[in-house]
Amino acid sequence: MNSIDTKTGLTQEIEQFFYYEARMLDERQFEEWLQLFSDDIRYWMPVVSTRERGGREIAGDNELAFFDDNKTTLTLRVKRLYTDFAFAEEPPSRTSRFISNVQVESSGSSPEEVLSHCKFLVYRTRLETDMDVFFGTRKDTLHRVNGSWQIVRRKIILAQNVLGAKNLSIFF
Amino acid sequence: MLGVKTLQDLVKDDGATVSRRAFVDSDVYEAELEHIFARCWLYLGHESQVKEPGDYFTAYMGEDPVIVARNNEGEIVVLLNSCRHRGMRVCRSDEGNSKFFRCPYHGWSYDNHGKLVGVPRFSTGYHKELDRNKWGLIKVAQVTNYKGMIWATWDPDAPSFEEYLGGMKVYLDLMIDRMPEGLEVVGGVHKWTIEANWKLAADNFVGDMYHVPITHGSAHAIGIRKAWGDLGYQINPGNGHGFGGEFGGLAEGTEAATPYTPFLKQMRKRLSQEKGDYVNKIVPIGHLTIFPNFSALDTLRFRTFRVWNPRGPQCMEIHAWCMIDKSLPEELKSAVRQQYIFTFGPSGVFEQEDGENWSQCTASSRGWIGRQHDFNYGMGAGHETSVAESLEADLPGQMGGIWSEINQRGFYQRWQQLLSTRSWDEILTADGAER
Repeated sequence: MNSIDTKTGLTQEIEQFFYYEARMLDERQFEEWLQLFSDDIRYWMPVVSTRERGGREIAGDNELAFFDDNKTTLTLRVKRLYTDFAFAEEPPSRTSRFISNVQVESSGSSPEEVLSHCKFLVYRTRLETDMDVFFGTRKDTLHRVNGSWQIVRRKIILAQNVLGAKNLSIFF
Repeated sequence: MLGVKTLQDLVKDDGATVSRRAFVDSDVYEAELEHIFARCWLYLGHESQVKEPGDYFTAYMGEDPVIVARNNEGEIVVLLNSCRHRGMRVCRSDEGNSKFFRCPYHGWSYDNHGKLVGVPRFSTGYHKELDRNKWGLIKVAQVTNYKGMIWATWDPDAPSFEEYLGGMKVYLDLMIDRMPEGLEVVGGVHKWTIEANWKLAADNFVGDMYHVPITHGSAHAIGIRKAWGDLGYQINPGNGHGFGGEFGGLAEGTEAATPYTPFLKQMRKRLSQEKGDYVNKIVPIGHLTIFPNFSALDTLRFRTFRVWNPRGPQCMEIHAWCMIDKSLPEELKSAVRQQYIFTFGPSGVFEQEDGENWSQCTASSRGWIGRQHDFNYGMGAGHETSVAESLEADLPGQMGGIWSEINQRGFYQRWQQLLSTRSWDEILTADGAER
């Protein structure tokens, strides 16, 4: 608890950054969204399973994930959405993203690097009645470069085992 | 039990015509639970998911939940995950290690052979009158570990797994038995739900290259694969199984290239020197289904196994794994894993679209009028050749061109035979010409 920022205004700055990011996605500005990630990003959503108490629920580094992207593959995912063939998002999903419980702490390695923890809640509706709710925890490492924040590491922990959704065609 | 007229109407014209009722109807579904899922060999998982005694994972055979465990003697057992007393699940985690499974309802405890070893109040309640030997967890009739793949069936009269594979065996081996030390699973399972009948997925993977350039056209548009040509194959080795692809593997584009591809090509060259030139054409083997609901994709970048678990006539729960060769160096294992995650699974740039298609195919068949009009699986009918002639090798089965729906026809014919409740002997003999 000691290292969590409560005084400097840093937390509010990161919150605003996350709200901007969420708005870019909800408004389908995917190329703008991509700019927020560093060139060495690891964008990672490990799978989650049900284990007995004490067991390891979240998949590790060399195990299965829903996303495990670098800048190249993340860029290709965005590029795909602008082709005529991304039928999973044509017609596009309607999304509403909520970011909450943001807590920021220094990473310890540099004043320009912070770690953040937050909760996310994403509602997605498609077509007529398709509705999915995605929620969980997000851990981000951010660098400030020339006064602007960039996401260097993102770990998304979706609080679901069997997805109720037919795909994960959106970003988190 | 479905009426004779209904059965005849479900699949006609040697599999070229399939009624939409097959994909939405509850009576058909109930018949499937009894005559398909309770009779056939079903895939459960890989031996690398239960390495040590006590290791277990949970899975499904049809709608029946099972525990797959390696018992203290090192054997793999498959047990119905349901207490014999009142049915409560005795194991509620996806995987773990435990020598015992205790029911949280009345405390009945079973060991990892399925034996009932603990019954609270056995004296004071049961007066020692319960014969514990008769109340163990229900076991499958047959289990087999086929080169690391764990398969099981509830049917004691089902043929051996190798006989069940029939002509598919030699092709399955090309996917799983081509490197020393065999396969292992990348830890974890992709699990997700599509509101569509399970057969839409199974028949897609058995023989549907036709959809690939359209449904998955974005893969070409972003450069991760080349444009599609007409050179390839669909091979029906009988028994409802099938596979297909482009000669030499599904053609890669230049984007997001992986060092695994040249490695696989080297391996293939060695394999072709050992087995014959046909290896250059059909390794990796492409998309495949082993009847009824196990499918796989073998490409120049990765292999995935999946099971389409039925959840009612209009819903399926998909379980999918990424498989790697144990003898690969670590950086190649990692490259394969990342390629699989990028292209398949629920976020995969290929797989995202399939859920859209299958769910709306199912929904459009709910109406009365829709259900009167059959699906067309007739492409390429009458244009089959024998694999042996076309590939100039001693290989079983019939072959169609890359777009042919020959395998779907074989799938639905086997499906209809099983629903007709013929015995296994009758079914296997009737298929004699194809084996």
